[in-house]
Amino acid sequence: MTTSNNSLIQLNNFSYQYPHTANNALKSINLSLKKGSFVGFAGPTGAGKTTLIKSINGIVPHFEGGTFSGEVLLNGKAADTMSTAEIGRSVGTVLDDPEAQIICLDVEQELVFGMENYGVPPAEMEQRMQKALASVGIAHLLGRSTASLSGGQKQRLAIAAALAMLPEVLVLDEPTSELDPLGSEEVFRVLKQLHQEQGMTILVTEQKTDLLARYCDQLVILREGEMVLSGTPREVFQHPDIFELGVALPEVTELARRYYPQAEPPITLDEGVQFCRNVIQTFGG
Amino acid sequence: MARVIEYIYRDSIIHQLNPLSKLAWALGVMVLALTFNDPYYLLALLISVGLVGLTGRVMKDLSGVMKGLSIFALILVLLQVVFYHGAYREAVTLGIAMGLRMMTVVLSFLVFLSTTQYKDIILVLTEKMKLPYDYVFMFMTSLRFVPTFLNEAIQVGYAQQVRGCPIDSGNPWRKMKAYIAVALPLVLISLKKAERLAIAMETRGYGSNNRTYYKEPIISTLDYFVIFLVVVLIIGAIILRCKGLGVLH
Amino acid sequence: MNPVIKIDGLSFGYEFGDSVLKDIYLEISPGEMVALVGQNGAGKTTLVKHLIGLLRPPAGKVRVADLDVANTRVSKLSRQVGYVFQNPDHQIFHDTVQAEVAFGLNNLGLPREEVEPRVTAALSDVGLEHLANENPQRLSRGQRQRVALASVLALRTPVIVLDEPTTGQDYQERKQIMALVEQLNKAGHTIVFITHDMSLVAHYASRVVVLCQGQIILDGDTREVFRQTDKLAESLLLPPQVTVLANQLNEPLNTSVSPVILSVDEMQEYLQRVREVKRNGAGD
Repeated sequence: MTTSNNSLIQLNNFSYQYPHTANNALKSINLSLKKGSFVGFAGPTGAGKTTLIKSINGIVPHFEGGTFSGEVLLNGKAADTMSTAEIGRSVGTVLDDPEAQIICLDVEQELVFGMENYGVPPAEMEQRMQKALASVGIAHLLGRSTASLSGGQKQRLAIAAALAMLPEVLVLDEPTSELDPLGSEEVFRVLKQLHQEQGMTILVTEQKTDLLARYCDQLVILREGEMVLSGTPREVFQHPDIFELGVALPEVTELARRYYPQAEPPITLDEGVQFCRNVIQTFGG
Repeated sequence: MARVIEYIYRDSIIHQLNPLSKLAWALGVMVLALTFNDPYYLLALLISVGLVGLTGRVMKDLSGVMKGLSIFALILVLLQVVFYHGAYREAVTLGIAMGLRMMTVVLSFLVFLSTTQYKDIILVLTEKMKLPYDYVFMFMTSLRFVPTFLNEAIQVGYAQQVRGCPIDSGNPWRKMKAYIAVALPLVLISLKKAERLAIAMETRGYGSNNRTYYKEPIISTLDYFVIFLVVVLIIGAIILRCKGLGVLH
Repeated sequence: MNPVIKIDGLSFGYEFGDSVLKDIYLEISPGEMVALVGQNGAGKTTLVKHLIGLLRPPAGKVRVADLDVANTRVSKLSRQVGYVFQNPDHQIFHDTVQAEVAFGLNNLGLPREEVEPRVTAALSDVGLEHLANENPQRLSRGQRQRVALASVLALRTPVIVLDEPTTGQDYQERKQIMALVEQLNKAGHTIVFITHDMSLVAHYASRVVVLCQGQIILDGDTREVFRQTDKLAESLLLPPQVTVLANQLNEPLNTSVSPVILSVDEMQEYLQRVREVKRNGAGD
């Protein structure tokens, strides 16, 4: 077993099978992530994105049961030897459904829920709460009831509730799947800010690949439980096999790949505009 | 329905009371209501509960529920009249007593719930009454999901209706069969939601040892006074009852 | 042609709160494929619920297939309008896919020999015939969405309403569902679909209706609607990336207005033409 000591999260040959199923949901995953990474996971339904997130926050195998081989290391410590609650101290989790993950009736109580569970001294909670709310830009919502928030605000509250526990890493499982485009952008802007200003390590699964392209440093593509591609978004989108993997490319990227299948493609709108200007100027046709 | 068990934020002296003394009061009202069956005594008790509700400035919000309860009380009176073997007058008096008793007890708990925050109730039940945290928390959280559940029920009803499911049918047998089509998806959805919620709670340290509480409600002099008053009233009621007052024979 | 859906000055507000729909006028002809777009809370779902009587409009305000929705039972309207909900779990409760799809047909009181072929046909339309005897609870979200779709298709209604049919689906599943909807439209069904995905709108809709705070602020041919970038921005909607791309390039070709591009294919063609124009211009 290779155990490098500067990885925050490390999966060594990790395979996992849910109870009462015939196939492995994850197959020999090897992944090593340093502190401060911002990684996006994409891939079609059933690729194992959610299972991967659950293996990092301990829901797999503790909550789900099933069988696994290989290991998941958090700061060098095997995750299966820790309880979910213990893992929760260093791994903050945000799920897809804003309705089902808000536990309490008001914003304040939602924020202190985790801190109370972990026995944080009451005097410290106030300050942590303020900071967490400010980090996601919803300090003005402190007195509100959770039912009155919009979907985007609920997801930001879920992020704040995780941040209040001072995690080392934030894992998010399709946090925008129930949100409209504005709400989705809202969530990713907050993640980017956390990453840049606080050096937060972020792992996020997402169907909207254009969001991952614009915000993440690293993109991992999964298919049928295997890690098939990994690299910067640009590297991944440049890969010859990308069209076979069932993920959507940003439209500017798709356009550029039709002209230059081998070259480094544009991944943002601005790059796309520049690319088109170049195409026009090269005349010919 | 959803509004029945909701905390209503108002600035009042009742809201500021410690949940423990409010709980003692509600339980005291229940004991008193069970001690007497004279409609005049019970009416006085109901009025006193109403006054506490007014002081807590929640009576307006509870008026809808109270209307429903009065109808229910009226049915109780009618049932007594129909099924009681004895004098007509006696039956009416007993029926009114039962109706008043029911309204008094329910109203006192509604006033308690609508002037006390969930988290404070949980805190008092677990820390002061020493009930197990898990059970108290699960119970209170299931109350929190009542509005969500009702909303889901409406959506499921819609989804089945548009497939021609005869929920709007006049035939009671068809209607009952139609409701199965609403109940089953609702159960399945609730199970899924419950699992999600359990995951959300686990990942946020639910079930770790040595928990703390952010804000513990304080016990003021007024609280001691309220608890003292409740105890005195109960003792007084027992003495009255022993002397045969407030009870119809 | 007579419109199949006619909404005439519809307003709606819930008991407590602001009005959700304000003075809606909308006519949809048979065979149209209309996308209904707008931010969350703009009133999209509230509007389509009036098409099948889940919300009751005042008399005479909403007519669907020559029925006044105000005084027609939902079970009767459901023979004219099929409605696919956003969350398939709100309807699925049978223990086989087949039984789930047959549910609506049995409610219509159809004889068994008619139910079976319709179920088979609907399942093959959505590509799930191989899972007919499977328990829906064991299927993926995308597959369950298709079961829900099949159970509405089987009713063979002239109008089909879909509320965010692609939520929670991956890229391939989204394309599959929309390809099926397009096929239904070609077969003569009138389609109204709600979505947030502007590239789906650009690819599949022939007409777009934009709702903003309960009012229709744009209604027209897809290309014309996406030309109104200012109005779209007002309701916080962003056209597909290629559309914005072409807009920012601002190369008007020989015409005075630059074209509205809706797909990568069109963009490629457009770039080609711009290059030709430039080359000819340089040759002069």
